[in-house]
Amino acid sequence: MSDLTIAQSVEVALDLLGSNGGVVVGESNFSANLRWANSSLTTNGSTQDNTLSIAAFVPVDDGVGCGIASGQVRSVADIEKLVSTGRASAIAGGASEDANDLVSGPVHSDFSEAPQAPDFSGIEHIAKSLGVVMQDTSAQYFGYAEHSVDTMYVGTSSGTRMRFAQATSRFELCAKSPERDRSAWSGQGGTSLNEVDVFAHAKSVSQGLVHQLTKIELEPGHHKVTLSSSAVADLMIYLMWTASAREAAQGRSVFSAANGETRIGEKLSNRLISISSDPAMSGLETVDHVVNLGSSSMSSTFDTGLPIARTSILDKGILKALASSRFSATEAKLPFTPLADNIEVIDAQGHGSLDELAERMIDGLLITCLWYIREVDPQSLLLTGLTRDGVYVVREGKIIGAASNFRFNDSPVGLLNRIVDAGEAIDCLPREWADWFTRSRVAPLTIEDFNLSTKSEAI
Amino acid sequence: MADRNLDQELPTYLGQNALDVAAQAGAEVAHFRIARHDSRGVSLRDGNVENVASDSTCALSVRVVLDGAWGFAGSADLTPQAALDATNRALAMARLSAQVSSDRVELVDEPSHGEVSWRMPVEVDAMAIPDSQVIELLTEWNARIAGADVVSHVDAHAAMGRDSTYFSDLNGNRISQSRDRISAQLNAIHVGESGFDDIRTCAPPAGRGWEYLTGTGWDWEAELNELPELLAEKSKAPSVEPGEWDLVIDPTNLWLTIHESIGHATELDRALGYEANYAGTSFATIDKLGNFKYGSELMNIIGDRTAQHGLSTVGYDDEGVAAQEWDLVTNGILTGYQVDRSTAARIGLSRSNGCAFADSALHTPIQRMPNVSLRANRANVTTQDLISDVEKGIYIVGDKSWSIDMQRYNFQFTGQKFFEIREGKIVGQLRDVVYQSKTPDFWGSLTGLGGASTYLLGGALNCGKGQPGQVAPVSHGCPSALFRNINILNGRMEASA
Repeated sequence: MSDLTIAQSVEVALDLLGSNGGVVVGESNFSANLRWANSSLTTNGSTQDNTLSIAAFVPVDDGVGCGIASGQVRSVADIEKLVSTGRASAIAGGASEDANDLVSGPVHSDFSEAPQAPDFSGIEHIAKSLGVVMQDTSAQYFGYAEHSVDTMYVGTSSGTRMRFAQATSRFELCAKSPERDRSAWSGQGGTSLNEVDVFAHAKSVSQGLVHQLTKIELEPGHHKVTLSSSAVADLMIYLMWTASAREAAQGRSVFSAANGETRIGEKLSNRLISISSDPAMSGLETVDHVVNLGSSSMSSTFDTGLPIARTSILDKGILKALASSRFSATEAKLPFTPLADNIEVIDAQGHGSLDELAERMIDGLLITCLWYIREVDPQSLLLTGLTRDGVYVVREGKIIGAASNFRFNDSPVGLLNRIVDAGEAIDCLPREWADWFTRSRVAPLTIEDFNLSTKSEAI
Repeated sequence: MADRNLDQELPTYLGQNALDVAAQAGAEVAHFRIARHDSRGVSLRDGNVENVASDSTCALSVRVVLDGAWGFAGSADLTPQAALDATNRALAMARLSAQVSSDRVELVDEPSHGEVSWRMPVEVDAMAIPDSQVIELLTEWNARIAGADVVSHVDAHAAMGRDSTYFSDLNGNRISQSRDRISAQLNAIHVGESGFDDIRTCAPPAGRGWEYLTGTGWDWEAELNELPELLAEKSKAPSVEPGEWDLVIDPTNLWLTIHESIGHATELDRALGYEANYAGTSFATIDKLGNFKYGSELMNIIGDRTAQHGLSTVGYDDEGVAAQEWDLVTNGILTGYQVDRSTAARIGLSRSNGCAFADSALHTPIQRMPNVSLRANRANVTTQDLISDVEKGIYIVGDKSWSIDMQRYNFQFTGQKFFEIREGKIVGQLRDVVYQSKTPDFWGSLTGLGGASTYLLGGALNCGKGQPGQVAPVSHGCPSALFRNINILNGRMEASA
């Protein structure tokens, strides 16, 4: 790419930013993927990318301006151009309302090391396993496998030098009957495709197709449901994304109370359920210091380098925290609360697997996945979406067949008080948000009166 | 800021060696691409500049068909060695894939277009407008809205982008292209004692230059001026009564319903199952081509990559196919699909209609949506004419929430503004309106169509599809339209039921 390493590019950019200061982030990405449909591999890819992003700080009337510029750099001249563009944007934008002193964050001893090299052996492992699975003619197989390795270099003019390297993998397998009247799915996130047992996933989806041989007509309405960990993750990730302290304090969110107050301290669930993010979550570790280029109600460039601690938005049923930057925390009159890039949903009373939870439900519906989730009403955080790839009818604790898919209209906040049982939290792949969020450890939940508002014919 | 001749900077010379190496290795097909994407954005929160940002990325890729299987590789490194490495990785991926692929990849023919270039016409280069001028415009918009008593908060942003691409292949193509896009939105929020409401501008993103934000193609002045009063009325409006209502749907809302219920449903790769694990399939399966009644006879849908100011408009697609226009639904009957060169071959078509697209050189081209549009009534029917034909109904303006199932049957949408119609007249706004239907039922209930004077090219910048995920800009033109007896839900009641 260039004669400079990424770490050197970060240093060059910081030198060019000079005494006015700023934040520089260099990123390296290696990625490989396979995709298959109709029991045959279709597209694939192997890519390499490098980018450098800078936040240039410039003194302006009444404060400090901040301009962001990013791109690939192939020479010192490219870095100079990036810094120049960022500076011009900072001057044009005027004083940033979230301007704050950068902290002296960590100095990682491996900062100047090369990007973590990828190990794409898992791709071959998946391809070979699929070669066996796809010989099964009783179903057609569809899916996707991806492995990527990202190395991020963060430097600030206050001396912070951080290097984060992480591998991320994702595997999804969907099986459909040859007549396309049944469909089942299984997915797995993680850090290595070599850990994926393709045959176990194939067994799981095959079992789903067998359950779906018996079709049971059910009317839409309010049903008792058990949501898989993947389905719960998709709902609670959305809750976490909307848990902004500032918007709550401004009266613009489901977490707003009257008179500019928030609902912090309010009991939202009768269960001992907690929703947390934690950079040190074992096996799902993620970046443990703030790295931001850009400002929003939950983030600020100027916070880069500050530590991220474990945070429970919901703690044993009580709303305990809302996400913020240092600046938006001040506006909301709440503690500074940065969130990590993972989620944990644990019910202290929860126990057992998804199957055991469904058995304890006695009568109800076991829902595999949710899909096409969108916000309908921000005031209640009403979300809509579809069930997908398996709505199993449970009677007397046993799966007796499958219902059609349904559109749901329900709120992840509203349903917290309708949880009646929970299983043990497991690592899972959120079906809807997996493009952005793969680090999830979430309990399956049984919920009363889940609003399945209309029927969907989709398979 | 970018200049208008960026494609001249692209290292197109890297392509020939990549193609030669692929050909020598036995590749039946080899495509070389370079894509540069420049984008800028400014956002204001309550009149304060929140973000001023720009991004510029450029990468190369090689895509081959070897032993009947695809292989793809890309690199952000723009050197001869990186191009060679990418070629070898693409060949290796194809060899791996060929071991597990039961369907051989075949591409339908496309004549060589030789060395050509195409640029989207714009009046004023938005990428050359200084940040300060963009901020000045948004600040002026913000000031106009923020002074109203009903407005508690204002969010505003503007964004613009340019794609500069180069494509070459073993068929003698050397195609350089450049296209632009621009968008802006302002959202006004009211916080009251009983909750909050918001209302947003409805101007769609467009394949235009800076002139778009200064009045060419959209009347910003008129829209901004009426926003506070509409928000005040909306915040006091009665909540809708659930049940069946007639709907007059404005193009600012209907474009999104077209996108979801027709645009994605007529993608041939979905109908063939290629998206089954992710975006989903389609109810419009190939056995229905030519005989399936999609909707009423008023319904004539075209796909095109040629519409003026269209976000999906190009000269050539990412497989070197020249831009075209074709029928998807004719007098209510399914008559066509969107295809690329490999999916066209799957159903025996002789030529692709040019829907291959990749949002980056680091992503493999897949079949993506062209501009998909509903033809206007030939008669000069106005929106008021449609409203006059309704006893009890709702005129829906602007898009907001959207969701549809994985075969494109069951959908549910909301909007920005809902005007109650009683005996042919608008009597005020409603709130909490959600409309829900099944695609063939909905389009079968189309009984009135506006004329050309009501036609608008709507669209989105963020259409998602594929794994790894890709984002595509796309436009949808349509007139105002009248639909009978559509199921209306109440959003507040759904949450509390």
